[in-house]
Amino acid sequence: MPLDTSAYSLALLRVDGRRWNELRRVHAQIRTQAAADGSSYLEMGHTKVMCVVNGPSEPGPRRGTAGGGGGGGGPGGVAEVAVSVVVAGFSSVDRKRRGRGDKRTLELQTTISNALAASLHTHLYPHSTISISLHVLSQDGSLLAALINAATLACVDAGIPMTDYVVACTAGSTSTYAANDETADPLLDLNHQEEQELPSLTVATLGETDRVAVLVCESRVQASRLEGMLAVGVSGCHQVREILDQVVRDKGRHMIKEGTVEKGMGVEEMEVD
Amino acid sequence: MASIKRSLDSDPLQASISSKVYVRSTKSGKVQKIVREVYLRQDIPCSSKLCRTCQKMAPTDSAGRPIPFVLSEAPAGTSVYPNGHYLVPDTNAFLSAMDLFEQSSAFYDVVVLQIVLEELRNRSLPLYNRLIGLTKSEDKRFYVFFNEFRLETYINRLEGESVNDRNDRAVRQAVAWYSEHLARTSAGKVPTVVMLSNDRENLKKAKKQGLAACSLAEYVRQLKDGEHLLDMIPETEDGDMIKEKKPNEFLYPEYFSMSKMMTGVKGGVLHQGTFNVSPYNYLEGSIRVPAFPKSLLILGRENINRAVDGDLVVVEVLPKDQWKEPSTQVIEEEAVTKDENPDTEEAGGLVTERERKALQEEVKRTHSKTTEGHAQPTAKVVGVIKRNWRQYVGHIDQTSVSQSAQQGRKQDTVFVIPMDKKIPKIRLRTRQVAELIGKRILVTIDAWDRGSRHPTGHFVRSLGELETKAAETEALLLEYDVQYRPFPKTVLDCLPKEGHDWKVPASMDDPGWRDREDLRHLGICSIDPIGCQDIDDALHARPLPSGNYEVGVHIADVSHFVRPNNAMDMEASIRGTTVYLVDKRIDMLPMLLGTDLCSLKPYVERYAFSVLWELTPDADIVNMRFTKSVIKSREAFSYEQAQLKVDDASQQDDLIKSIRVLMALSKKLKQKRMDAGALSLSSPEVKVQMESETSDPIDVKTKQHLDTMSLVEEFMLLANVSVARKIYEAFPQTALLRRHGAPPKTNFDELANQLRVKKGLELSVESSRALADSLDTCVDPKEPFFNTLIRIMATRCMMAAEYFCSGTQAYPEFRHYGLASEIYTHFTSPIRRYADLVAHRQLAAAIEYEAVHPSVRSRGRLEAVCKNINVRHRNAQLAGRASIAFYVGQALRGKATQEDGFIMKIFSNGFVVLVPRFGIESLVRLRDLAEPEPTAEYDAETYTLTTSGSREIKVELFQKVKVLVTDQKDETTGKRGVKMEFVKAY
Ligand SMILES: [Zn+2]
Repeated sequence: MPLDTSAYSLALLRVDGRRWNELRRVHAQIRTQAAADGSSYLEMGHTKVMCVVNGPSEPGPRRGTAGGGGGGGGPGGVAEVAVSVVVAGFSSVDRKRRGRGDKRTLELQTTISNALAASLHTHLYPHSTISISLHVLSQDGSLLAALINAATLACVDAGIPMTDYVVACTAGSTSTYAANDETADPLLDLNHQEEQELPSLTVATLGETDRVAVLVCESRVQASRLEGMLAVGVSGCHQVREILDQVVRDKGRHMIKEGTVEKGMGVEEMEVD
Repeated sequence: MASIKRSLDSDPLQASISSKVYVRSTKSGKVQKIVREVYLRQDIPCSSKLCRTCQKMAPTDSAGRPIPFVLSEAPAGTSVYPNGHYLVPDTNAFLSAMDLFEQSSAFYDVVVLQIVLEELRNRSLPLYNRLIGLTKSEDKRFYVFFNEFRLETYINRLEGESVNDRNDRAVRQAVAWYSEHLARTSAGKVPTVVMLSNDRENLKKAKKQGLAACSLAEYVRQLKDGEHLLDMIPETEDGDMIKEKKPNEFLYPEYFSMSKMMTGVKGGVLHQGTFNVSPYNYLEGSIRVPAFPKSLLILGRENINRAVDGDLVVVEVLPKDQWKEPSTQVIEEEAVTKDENPDTEEAGGLVTERERKALQEEVKRTHSKTTEGHAQPTAKVVGVIKRNWRQYVGHIDQTSVSQSAQQGRKQDTVFVIPMDKKIPKIRLRTRQVAELIGKRILVTIDAWDRGSRHPTGHFVRSLGELETKAAETEALLLEYDVQYRPFPKTVLDCLPKEGHDWKVPASMDDPGWRDREDLRHLGICSIDPIGCQDIDDALHARPLPSGNYEVGVHIADVSHFVRPNNAMDMEASIRGTTVYLVDKRIDMLPMLLGTDLCSLKPYVERYAFSVLWELTPDADIVNMRFTKSVIKSREAFSYEQAQLKVDDASQQDDLIKSIRVLMALSKKLKQKRMDAGALSLSSPEVKVQMESETSDPIDVKTKQHLDTMSLVEEFMLLANVSVARKIYEAFPQTALLRRHGAPPKTNFDELANQLRVKKGLELSVESSRALADSLDTCVDPKEPFFNTLIRIMATRCMMAAEYFCSGTQAYPEFRHYGLASEIYTHFTSPIRRYADLVAHRQLAAAIEYEAVHPSVRSRGRLEAVCKNINVRHRNAQLAGRASIAFYVGQALRGKATQEDGFIMKIFSNGFVVLVPRFGIESLVRLRDLAEPEPTAEYDAETYTLTTSGSREIKVELFQKVKVLVTDQKDETTGKRGVKMEFVKAY
């Protein structure tokens, strides 16, 4: 077994060889499933998720979406964002099955739904449902962040108007709460081992702005360290946005080249606004 | 159709990302495959001060600080590497000779590879921690190079290559990279990068690759004065020395594989527990497992199968017809294996003729009786989960030394007899026998393989001449793992800058006075043993208009000076407690605090943490409160002084009057405790009187008990209980408390039976109350000491009290059995106990004096603290007792006195006598009675031993006897000890 996170101070290297401010490799693809309105596949390190978006769709005879959608839209005449997360049993080392009503899964769904509802122009589609269905294929930390990023990409692919990308990543600290080490470094993008051993939080921002859309922290951490962690997390979000944006642009170019999209439509217009 | 399959070369980063696959098996027996990402990079520096390239790209932390470079620009040279060298040891080098690397005479500029660190951590956590310690020490210059993360030194495992071979190759790759990298630095003298390994295959391959490589022994021989270091290299690793052994020469049964043991334990067929050796019989061990109410007996060398006291082992229970009674005989290793030859020990099979004889007599005896009901289940060791080997203090058995070795410097094999009787003697190869004879030495056990009757070890260092005070004291500290090195500078830096000039600030606006009550007007005094310098506690009492009394216990405010988690706090939490030896005190906190700034010395103002009660004249609590305070003690009394003044009716000043009030109240408090069932236990306590000039021991006195002692004790108990309630109320999950479990009834079976048979007395053990009452009835009108004797023996049946974190136990389990209190903690001695310091911090947070520090409410951290201080506390007690025993021996030197003693344990070939006057117990063997050894008849039913032949005596349990106490130096072992000779029975 490799060393644990306490070895960081020996050479300022993390358990997988990264420095404190480095993201893992992010790999993303969009329009992975032609049949869906929007789809994406995203890897952050060994965390691998898939997303399929259907809608916005009017209520009526139920369509066979995986989400719990099909209702009459959200309150106040806006579209409902219905999120379903399915965690595959083989996605984690212990191969534990999570049931449908699993509390952690429900919480993930609610968090993602709220985060996207803040960016998607749901008021354009009253009485409709946007159903987002996410599949977790492999878990290695920063799961919520990966799910949010994948959902954003799929929504872009589905062509749902939105304010900006909702991009997320995690941030942590090199020293545990109890150790109370004054010189702890903040960490960007935690993997599973780091999440197990160190305090961490997930932050999502609206595009390049510093506007925080999601902030989840489930571990004990000194208030004084929070600021540094948040700053690193937000800068990580900006990096993620660059990467996702590049993926979208590349796909756009590719589609023009292949003739999937009309020539007259410039790449610039493909941009989400 | 779109596909999510991606081509491998589409990602430019791909080349520098790799995956590592680990396979691990869980406790439940599942096998898990874990895939980890590895990011390979080129900005990991070599850390040599010679290298400009790396210095330019040194990584920085989030604050922009670069990590310092470690390896010297002019490292030391050896005879073979005159240009200087950096060492790159492999895992085995650290595993087998960590002591070498800790030497201050050599082993500087060492590159510790990440792969080596990982392997070491998996093999031995203590060694890993020692190595981490070395990398943190500035002067040793150890650098951890993360070779597995550097692109050039990372290698993939080849098809068909074993993990070990791959890791060895990774070490060679790193050595190769380092040599090449340093060659490019254009330094005048490029240091050689030397691989250290004891693996012959690895060395051969390295040399073939053109790398500098040598074995530990070869390397040490290159050093100046390296000869004496050679002994520290374990012999089994010395390639040339390994003898080929035929399989049928194995003496011991093979251990089961780990998975077989795990399956067996899970299935209930095998049992796991800690192996303990009987103090009277080295061939008898026991192990407590959950499945059996009585401990399992493990008899004989073959069944013990190389387990050493303290090891975590797995045993298999033997069939019921082999169940036996615990031994009634004393078997001492020294006597039985005296004449074995360390060099030729493979001959003669596992069990020697002498051992077989000793055991056979045993079996005969047990079979001759009808013993149903008495028989205890027996077991054999089938494997060891975890060795508990440490460094042992001992001395060389002179009889095992050959004549030639006493002169020359040739390597010789000798036996080392450890001080701890439960540890088997250790085979040791050394080149310096002549120098080491008659010295206390420190050795380790390296291995105990199936082919060797005794474990093999190597020499670490010499402590000095046997029986000199310095050597014996250090031996004691090492045996009980007491941290006795001077405080490092980082700790001393935490002390107040003013030093001894520190004073309570005169201005009450000073932040030090915040939320502190001014109690300087109170008539406070302290009462302690004579010469006490670290005064933890002081008391006061004064009448209130209502007729009640205000009583205050004031404790040194150590937590004001020791802030959580600084270097001083860390050091204190590791030390755990101050250790008191007869002539030496090893402090938990630096002297400046312990004996001055914190100590509640008389006539000066000091910060304190006060507990204040209003008590009725019947000592019922009306109310209580806690506050930080400033006090000024009026006087520091000794117990004796205070007692004299209290007894002297002419003494009428206020201070003495208030002590009398406290005395009256304390007696009522004590009565209440006794009514609740508190036990009054006993252990033989003596004090060694030293000559003031030479500090040589001159006399031994039993400790006298004074009323002033119980006065202080009662109020400390009251304060501890009050504080325990308060912190538990504030922190139900994380309060640091102390519990004393009720002993299992079976613990008293033997003592109860002995009392019934010998004295017709009944011992009831249903509750502490019942036990206390029945202990009171255990009296012999003719022999006042009898009651104390029974109390001493009862105390040995008890469990040990322990610190715990309140969230780990249910409330009923909090109970302190001995004190008959529902809840208890330690609060009153923060200068000398770490637990009290934590309680202080928790109480300060509970009364909202300061914010809760994370370290005092993190349950994981507290549990770790409890675990450590429980061990330290126990070791401190044992070390203290051993120190007294040593000085009693010294005080008796050259004297011979006849003393009264009592028989407290009886065997078929000897008995144990306790001499209250000296607080010592010693074994009298049959063969000590007369020459030739008299024949004896032992009646286990009535605990009577009758001898006939050369000397005729009859002794029984609890009997009062007269013995001649002398000191005696055993010529064969060079060990001095108290010897008792039987004179007569009363
Ligand atoms: Zn370099």
